[in-house]
Amino acid sequence: MKKIPKKPMTKTSKTHEASFRDPSGYIYHDGNILRRKINPIYFPQYKKLKDSGFFKTLIKNNLLISHEETSVSEDEIIITPEHIPFITNPYEWGFEQYKQAALLTLKIQKFALSKGFILKDASAYNVTFHKGKPIFIDTLSFDFYEEGSPWRAYKQFVTHFLGPLVLARYHGNEVFNMLQAYIDGIPVKMISSMLPPKTKLSSVLYPNIHLLAKMESRHSEDYKAQTKIAKLSLKAQNNIIESLYNYISKLSLKEVSEWGDYYSKTNYNETAFNTKKDLIRNWVSPLNAKKLIDIGGNDGTFARTVQDLVPHIMVTDIDSNAVDANFSQILKNKEDNILPFVCDVLQPAPGIGFNNTERESLVHRLTEYKPDVTMALALIHHITLSGNVPFEKSAAFFAKFSKNLIIEFPKREDSWVTSLLVRKREFINYFDFYNQIEFEKGYSKFFTLVKKEELAGTKRVMYLFENKNYGS
Amino acid sequence: MNFLYFDPGLGAMIVQAIVAVAAGVLLFSKNVLYKVKSFFGLVKEDDSYDSIDVDEEDTEETNDKNQ
Repeated sequence: MKKIPKKPMTKTSKTHEASFRDPSGYIYHDGNILRRKINPIYFPQYKKLKDSGFFKTLIKNNLLISHEETSVSEDEIIITPEHIPFITNPYEWGFEQYKQAALLTLKIQKFALSKGFILKDASAYNVTFHKGKPIFIDTLSFDFYEEGSPWRAYKQFVTHFLGPLVLARYHGNEVFNMLQAYIDGIPVKMISSMLPPKTKLSSVLYPNIHLLAKMESRHSEDYKAQTKIAKLSLKAQNNIIESLYNYISKLSLKEVSEWGDYYSKTNYNETAFNTKKDLIRNWVSPLNAKKLIDIGGNDGTFARTVQDLVPHIMVTDIDSNAVDANFSQILKNKEDNILPFVCDVLQPAPGIGFNNTERESLVHRLTEYKPDVTMALALIHHITLSGNVPFEKSAAFFAKFSKNLIIEFPKREDSWVTSLLVRKREFINYFDFYNQIEFEKGYSKFFTLVKKEELAGTKRVMYLFENKNYGS
Repeated sequence: MNFLYFDPGLGAMIVQAIVAVAAGVLLFSKNVLYKVKSFFGLVKEDDSYDSIDVDEEDTEETNDKNQ
C-alpha cells in the first residue's frame, strides 16, 4: 500500500453535484481536478477489478475512462480519472450516438459477466463522448456476479436505452428530450403505451417492453419483497444481452431525412463558400485557441477548417441529423478532437435532477468549459427572427461563456432572411430592427468589435468580437 | 453479498426468465438461418458495428501506464 498524503478533502474540494446515488464512493472537485473517492464498502470489488486486470482490459480497449490511483488508506481510496473536457447528456445525443452508447453498455456487461462481474447499473449517464467515441465513465459501476441472479440493471437498461431508442425510431429523435423530464429513464409503462400495436408482435419488443410493463404493474405492490425471484442462468443472461445487442445495432430511425444537401440549398456559390472557410481559418489562427465551440455548426464543415489548429472542438446543431452526419464522419475518419451534440439555442438543456444540479444546464457547462472561440455562423437570423430574441439578449447569452465570438450576420437581402421576414406577414414592420446598425449596437454592449468583413458573393457580413468582461 | 442501492423492479427481475427464453429462441433461429445462408453464399459481412466481444489479446504483456 502506498503512503498517502492525508486530507484529500481540502478546503477547495467539493462533492460533484451528480455523485450521491451510489454509496460505493463519490466524485469530488479537488481544485480543478476531478477525483473519485472509494468507500471501504466497495474495497473488495475495487481490488478484484484492479488485480484481475479487468479495469486494464476495458481501459486498453477505450471502453472505460482511464484512471490513476492517487492514494490508498484504510478508510478511503482515491483515484483520479482522465480529464474529460465536456460532458454531454443523453438528451443531447443524436440517434447514432445514443445507439453507440447503448451498445457500449451491453458490451461492457457481457465482458463483465465473462469475468465474474456485473454492471450494477445501466444508467445512460454512465456514458459520455470523449475523443470521438462513447466511453463508460463510472468506474464504480461494477459488482460481483452472483450465481443464478438476474441482471439488476436490466430495467434501467430498458428505461435508459432500449426504450428511448425504440421510441425515437417511431417518433423521431426529439423523444430523447423526454429524458429531461425523467432522469431515471422513461417509465416502462409509458414506453409501452407510446409504441405502435404492431410492436407487440416483435419477439424482442414484446418481452422486453410490453411484457415487462405488465409484470412491473402486477408486482408493484410487493412491499415486503416477498415474491421469490426465479434464478437465471449465466447462459440465459448472456442470451438477453446478445439479443438486445443484435436488435439495437440494427435499429434505425423510421424517417431518415437524408443529410448533406443543406449547403447546396443555400444561396452561396463555391467561391463564397471557400472564402468563408479561409476567413475563418485566418481569424482563428492568431487566437491560439485551445477550445472552440461552433453553435449551429451543422455537420461540422466549418469547424473542420480549423481542426488542426484547435485541440478541442465542439459542434452543436438543433438538427439531430446534422449531428449524426457529423458523428459518422468522426467515426469514419477516426477524428478525436470533435464533439458533436444536439442543442436548441432557443431552449438549451436545463439543469435537472435533485436540486436542479444533478445534471448541469448547458449554459452552466459552457461557462465552465470556457471556449476561447465561439462561432455562430448563419445563426443570428434564426435566433432573432424565428425566436424573436432581441440582439442585446443574444449578445448577453454569448457573452456568458465566450472569449472571442465569430458571428455571421446575413443582411435583409439574404434569401434566408427575406424568407423569414416574409413569413412575418403583416408584422413584418415589427422587425425593421433587423439590420447591421442595430446588430452592432446590441453586441457592442458586451463585445468589442475586432474585425468585420463582407463575404464577397453573398449578402453576409462576418464579425469578430472580443468579450469586454471576459474573466471578470 | 450483492449491494443493492436502487430498486431493480421486481417485475423486471421475474420477466428476465421469459425474456431469456425468447432471446434464446431468436439467437438459435438466427444462427440456423445464418448457417443456411452461408451455405448458399448469401451472407454479407456488415462491419459497421463492432462485435459485442471485447478484444483481450495482448492485454497481458503491454502497458502499465493505465495502472
